[in-house]
Amino acid sequence: MTQTESTQQGRRIVIVPCSGIGKTYGSVSREAAYIVTEDLRPEDTQLVALSMLVLGDENARSEVANNPAITIDGCKLACATKMVQESGGEIAQDYAVLDVYRRYRQLKPQGIAELNEGGLQLAQALAKEIADVVDGVTGGQNG
Amino acid sequence: MSEFLETIVDKFTFKVATDRLYNDEGVWAKAEGNQVRIGLSDFLQQRSGDVAFTEVKPEGTLLDFGDEVAVIETIKVSISLPSPVTGKVVEVNPAMQHAPESINQDHYGEGWLAVIEASHWEADRLRLKAPEEYFAMMKVEAEEANRL
Repeated sequence: MTQTESTQQGRRIVIVPCSGIGKTYGSVSREAAYIVTEDLRPEDTQLVALSMLVLGDENARSEVANNPAITIDGCKLACATKMVQESGGEIAQDYAVLDVYRRYRQLKPQGIAELNEGGLQLAQALAKEIADVVDGVTGGQNG
Repeated sequence: MSEFLETIVDKFTFKVATDRLYNDEGVWAKAEGNQVRIGLSDFLQQRSGDVAFTEVKPEGTLLDFGDEVAVIETIKVSISLPSPVTGKVVEVNPAMQHAPESINQDHYGEGWLAVIEASHWEADRLRLKAPEEYFAMMKVEAEEANRL
């Protein structure tokens, strides 16, 4: 079965952002994940909190193990990517916010609890890239 | 003397290469004939965070000791780096444009910033710190930062 076929049969792509609280790049990763799962591709994606994977939550691990995942890491420790791999997940695409920022230098993220305009726009730009990946995996059914 | 002086503070290991000199800000200077290669110390790059962008003064720029030779923007801060040597910039590491992360990955090697043709090296080197001296200063700074 191809990835597209399996998604068409009811699987939704799992989005796993960084859980770094108090980190600007972690906030960008979560904001991007919310935009994708709530606004851009709510039918095709679902958010799984990294903390639930770390805690070994069975439902979270099951979702990751049975669906393609897109990870968004806030730093080079790449906790989201590592935890998805450790949970038996298949990573369709992994993102590092720093690499995304290098492509959008004009969008300098600042702030933590509340991102500045640059951070929000960077999250939007990242979310659009993720939505394109989602479309590639799902065949663009809902994009 | 071994290749590095090394200390562990909390979960971080900091290394100081013993084959070069350092200014107070943590920019290293390694003499190569009448030229001096410069870069960031391990402590400076770890304290600053992952480098997003680096802007090094272009080739041909004349610098006095302490003049800004580069600005690095990391995930935490933007830092102006003072030159540890007087002279003319004769080479800028091309990796600073396309792979500035090399500063974090190989700060004493491939992650160098620039090469400067030194005009007053004998005087400049007396204003820099020997590895042991920089190591002692860095260790105090690292331990203080860890206490905060």
